[in-house]
Amino acid sequence: MIRKAGYLGLGVVLGAAAAATAPQALMFVSPAAYAAAADTYRQLNLFGDVFDKIRNDYVEKPDESKLIDAAINGMLSSLDPHSSYMDAKQFRDMQVQTKGEFGGLGIEVTQEDGLIKVVTPIDDTPAAKAGVLSGDIITAIDDQSTQGLTLDQAVEKMRGSINSAVKLKVVRGPKKEAKDFTIVRDLIHVQSVRSKVEDNDIGYIRITQFTEQTEDGLKAAMDKLHSEIPADKFKGYILDLRNNPGGLLDQSIDVVNSFIDRGEIVSTRGRTPDETQRFDAKSGGDLSGGKPLVVLINGGSASASEIVSGALQDHKRATLIGTRSFGKGSVQTIMPLGENGALRLTTARYYTPSGRSIQAKGIEPDIKVLEDVPDDLKGKDDMKGEASLKGHLANGKEDTSASQAYVPPDEKNDKQLTAAIDLLHGVKPAEPAVKADAAPVKTDPPAAPAASAAPSTPGQTAPAKPN
Amino acid sequence: MRKGLSYLACGVAAGVVLVGVSDGVLSAAASSANDKLALFSEVFNKVRDNYAEKPDDEKMIKSAIDGMLTSLDPHSNYFDPKALQEFQTSMKGEEFGGLGLEVMMENGLVKVVSPIDDTPAARAGLMTGDLVTRIDDTAVKGLTLKEAVDKMRGPAKSPVKLTVERGSARDLKEFTIVREIIHVQSVRAHVEKGDIGYVRVTQFNQEAYDGVRKAFDHFRTDPGTAKLKGYILDLRNNPGGLLNQAVEITNAFVDSGDIVSTRGRNPDQGQRYSARPGVNLSQDKPLVVLINGGSASASEIVSGALQDLKRATLIGTRSFGKGSVQTILPLGENGALKLTTARYYTPSGRSIQAHGIDPDIRVVENIPDDLKGKVSSLGEASLVGHLKAAGEEEEKGSDAYVPPDHDKDTQLAAAVAFLHGAKAETLRSPDPGATVTSK
Repeated sequence: MIRKAGYLGLGVVLGAAAAATAPQALMFVSPAAYAAAADTYRQLNLFGDVFDKIRNDYVEKPDESKLIDAAINGMLSSLDPHSSYMDAKQFRDMQVQTKGEFGGLGIEVTQEDGLIKVVTPIDDTPAAKAGVLSGDIITAIDDQSTQGLTLDQAVEKMRGSINSAVKLKVVRGPKKEAKDFTIVRDLIHVQSVRSKVEDNDIGYIRITQFTEQTEDGLKAAMDKLHSEIPADKFKGYILDLRNNPGGLLDQSIDVVNSFIDRGEIVSTRGRTPDETQRFDAKSGGDLSGGKPLVVLINGGSASASEIVSGALQDHKRATLIGTRSFGKGSVQTIMPLGENGALRLTTARYYTPSGRSIQAKGIEPDIKVLEDVPDDLKGKDDMKGEASLKGHLANGKEDTSASQAYVPPDEKNDKQLTAAIDLLHGVKPAEPAVKADAAPVKTDPPAAPAASAAPSTPGQTAPAKPN
Repeated sequence: MRKGLSYLACGVAAGVVLVGVSDGVLSAAASSANDKLALFSEVFNKVRDNYAEKPDDEKMIKSAIDGMLTSLDPHSNYFDPKALQEFQTSMKGEEFGGLGLEVMMENGLVKVVSPIDDTPAARAGLMTGDLVTRIDDTAVKGLTLKEAVDKMRGPAKSPVKLTVERGSARDLKEFTIVREIIHVQSVRAHVEKGDIGYVRVTQFNQEAYDGVRKAFDHFRTDPGTAKLKGYILDLRNNPGGLLNQAVEITNAFVDSGDIVSTRGRNPDQGQRYSARPGVNLSQDKPLVVLINGGSASASEIVSGALQDLKRATLIGTRSFGKGSVQTILPLGENGALKLTTARYYTPSGRSIQAHGIDPDIRVVENIPDDLKGKVSSLGEASLVGHLKAAGEEEEKGSDAYVPPDHDKDTQLAAAVAFLHGAKAETLRSPDPGATVTSK
């Protein structure tokens, strides 16, 4: 989970232009920087020296690739928990994940008692057309038994280039009827956006992660909701970002822009001018018709999810319901390394429109609502957050406490969702919610000594603020 | 404990035989290695240029080296200059300016385990059990043991003020003691039961052999060669040390034969160490070697050789199983590399790597209930990334507990009884795997 919360890439942007590859290139820097360069050269030299000694003298012939991989991983882990090295295969996997598309069959699978089981065939994919059903057990792929394969290995075997064929042997139903399928792979899109109409008058949109498919998925979802709910009845939107670990920065900006028409969305600040940017809403981007919006967050909402909820909170565009978010306030850039994979490097911190960094702090919801966690999951579903990760970027006063990250599988028990629906229907929260007025939480309390004021009744007179 | 188990060094030797050291990064012989180094440089430079904050070059390189070495095996590591100095000090047979106290931490205070004979602390009258509460007017509460020890150490002839609490009445006492050069003994010896020469080697540092030789000198007059029934060489919880010291100490008990051979990838790591005639100090009196799960590396060379040469009877429990040799490769002003360069083999040609040495007579100690489970050494085979055993099955570690009370030391008692003529069968602990069947 935490690993997943890792990236929030600017996409494949920097790379070759940014860095010199050989140490002697450092000779060309200005004289003032020369001393620093010489020291860097000395450090690299030390590394080369150790590498040579291992190659020459280690008791067994060392695997040089493994040595360098371990060195790079060691170096990057000394930086922060989100900087890492991906070898060629891991880089491909990540691209598949961020692209949200791959050549495959279109089935969601899981592993149960060592068997590969179909959760569901995705509508309108080769698998669905061929007649693969939920509950089918896949026993062989291209005549190779799935016995002993990990889920990843099985998935790897089913994926492949578009228009190539794959043979599946499945066992179906209590009679264990054996069936053979030969299916031609097609381009499969992973849905990152799901939507439905809630109570006939609310548009519910869930984003599971921010992939290249998100912007299009969101537009399609909003169009569909508009066609299903008459405009005069449309009460508002629920944007569910719970347990969304993040993803691509540009996609999170597009999502915010779909709900606001102007103003800053997020700014990033790094050491280089390249990394210091401000992203504003483009006029005409707002598709929401100004309808009320509730954003659901929890301890599993990280990174790009926090950019979206932070921006919508600062603009007073949305009411945030749920529990405190993860607190990952840094941006990683994917830097390709040719055939050697890629580097995922923390290159900037980001700031919400009001200028706050949520790094190691998270975003507090406007209305805190806890889910009822079943006894057997208590404590296990809580997310410790960025502030608890070893070597995280520091950010002043941090919040290291855990935040809930549980969403009940049964919608009827989902108290956060119910609270969102109630709010959009104008019903006051039944339980004493933490804050009833949806004013954004300011990180800097007013300087005036308002602390001694009597606790204000929710919705009533809050300490006066200059208007 | 684990840290201490790691080295078995050949001393500061190699380094000069390497090619391409001076040119470092770009001079690696094979082009594949060059490509790999280029990849590393590329990543390093990308981080330096683009990371969100200015990174610390030195820390990055150190982490890279640590990461690379950890991927090899648990005994290869990098010493920065400070760590190298500490390592060298410990190999020299610790010598430092100090008071001469063995201390431990108890409830946040420093407790005196014992003042070492003939040191400033002993002469000033510090006693076992004293609790040190202040050092030079700094409260000990809140300090780590290492911090407290660092405060007590200092240049010879400089004074230090200690405040201690003594006894159940907690009498406060103040001492002002002048530091001297303190010498930590790696060998302790005494006469056991009037007729046995007992020698304990705590680690194989540069003074270990000298210590053993002095012990033999002592035994010649007390109890005297004629009375001496035999020797006990206690290597329990001895984590190892220098290879040459292990060879010399083995040679103190044998006249001829191989002691150990090492084999690495390079011919210069392949060496055979044989006994030289004329340096056997033991007059062929019977010898018992005590080993346990904490006996590693150089301890296993000594016990393995003495077992193979049928010179000693090994009593105790299975040893740790570290069958590799590390070499200290200097890195100029940047410290040194401790690298696994060879495996070693006992005279009969066995490697004890991840296997250990089984005693001839297995005798276990009675472990107090509160320590049960805490004093077992898991052994080499349990270390992540250990070199695999050559062929043979791997074995886990064994108990590593020695009772502080001499009278309760079952292994020592068995050694004494054996040298006094008891039969092995009467001493052996029941086999934990054996099942007792009753009709």
